[in-house]
Amino acid sequence: MGTIKDRYAIVGVGESERSRKSGTTPLHLALEAANAAIKDAGLKATDIDGFMNYNEGDSCTSHQLATYLGVRPKYVKDIQGGGASTEMLIADAVALIEAGQLNTVLIYRSMNGSSGTRVGRGYDPDMLQGALAGGSFVIPYGSASPSQWFGMYATRHMHETGITKEHLGHVCLSFYEHAQRNPKAFLHGKPLTMETYLATPDISSPFNIHDSCLELDEGNAIIVTSAEKAKDCVSKPVYIMGMAARQCHPHAHYWNDIDQVASDYVAEELYENAGVTPEDIDVASIYDCFSWVVMRQLEAYGFAKRGEVGDFVAEGNLKIGGKLPTNTAGGMLSEGYTHGMNNAIEIVRQLRHDYEGTDRQVEDCKIGICTGWAGPDIAGAMILRN
Amino acid sequence: MTQAKTAYQKPIPLKDIDNAPYWDAADQHQLALQKCVDCTAYSQPPGPTCAKCGSENVTWEQLGNDIKATVYSYVVSYRPFLPGFQEELPTIIALAQLDKVPEVKIMGNILNCEEKDLAIGMPIQMTWVDITEDRALPQWIPATN
Repeated sequence: MGTIKDRYAIVGVGESERSRKSGTTPLHLALEAANAAIKDAGLKATDIDGFMNYNEGDSCTSHQLATYLGVRPKYVKDIQGGGASTEMLIADAVALIEAGQLNTVLIYRSMNGSSGTRVGRGYDPDMLQGALAGGSFVIPYGSASPSQWFGMYATRHMHETGITKEHLGHVCLSFYEHAQRNPKAFLHGKPLTMETYLATPDISSPFNIHDSCLELDEGNAIIVTSAEKAKDCVSKPVYIMGMAARQCHPHAHYWNDIDQVASDYVAEELYENAGVTPEDIDVASIYDCFSWVVMRQLEAYGFAKRGEVGDFVAEGNLKIGGKLPTNTAGGMLSEGYTHGMNNAIEIVRQLRHDYEGTDRQVEDCKIGICTGWAGPDIAGAMILRN
Repeated sequence: MTQAKTAYQKPIPLKDIDNAPYWDAADQHQLALQKCVDCTAYSQPPGPTCAKCGSENVTWEQLGNDIKATVYSYVVSYRPFLPGFQEELPTIIALAQLDKVPEVKIMGNILNCEEKDLAIGMPIQMTWVDITEDRALPQWIPATN
């Protein structure tokens, strides 16, 4: 993967309306997002010959989307995936373009995550026992939500590293503050104070509602092509410096060892591929299904040492103006939730300086990181530049 | 031992070809763990082969019914995410590190435990709750000695 450095680019990004109740189907949301991304890139739909999507059985297929864009693509791919799939599919797209199979690929995530199928809820318990590795050792004890699964990691990690509930609050407050600058953020106009945060009861410890990502109806799309073809686009290309597309935990039943996460293994390969270090990163999108997941990744990706992550966030370093402005549109805690793709879109917009002249722009940012976390077991990340 | 008072609503562990010896032992109020003959690693949860070295040469070790452990980590859930838990909130879900086999950690609820007394490192012991006529579920309670 090292050889692809700066030879591929994200040339278009777009999203649909986000709401609690779209009143429409994921296909309509995907079309809205895809058309926005195509327009952003200045392409025609027929310029796209590959369509890819990740879903949890809650979306439309890539073939459906291509059909209703009036495109007969060469390649479609739909994977079952989640929080690290944006990075994985971008890597797949790059590989297929590199192999000469495709020219330009559109990747999307579209879901009625609020009014339709809610992630991690309402599943048949017996189905879950079979679907999860070692599920019969988990489900009978009432543990069926990612908050409970990742929470088991969080409690131990916080105990060992001195991270407090208040530290988690600083993650939430930083992202909520960004959402107040973003009129399209779902929690725009709903700022959060530490007092309110600490007074909010947990749903499942150590997480209360503010520590947990939103659940919304939304579609997002990203277009990837070669640096060569990017010259034909109207958008400013954002180049892919390096990726580490996917990394797994040693055991599919990841409670087997809650002291390591896949992100720990992504970082080294990622920085090596990109030829940069954590100090070079100007702006970040860190996967934030839960506040603690951000803390754990800040450690894994080398932004703060183990044991010092709490202080790092308490000092305001995740805020615009801090050392590592993170989730600058509000993240999944307060902007929107499309399994990470909205965070990837934001990093592209920051690196293009789309917000120039407003208080949303991270000044002079050149290099950004976008991380994905599908769980303690699966992580991916990419480093981009303008 | 606690006898379930009404019809059991919670999910019942599904036995399969790999985990049946664990749950069969549990039904007899015993703990059995899968172990690799070649590399001596324990596999929890059990699987078709050793999860450490891939060997098919796995066997079962009987650990009896006096199972001591400490709390390695936990969550306290205030909302039910599955049927049957609505009557028992908050629910403590813990990962127990076995005293005799520290590399093995087993999830379970801690029963008869106040949230304020719950802590990492707390000594606990395995108990078995008869949930149906022929099934028993391993659980944890604060250690008595």
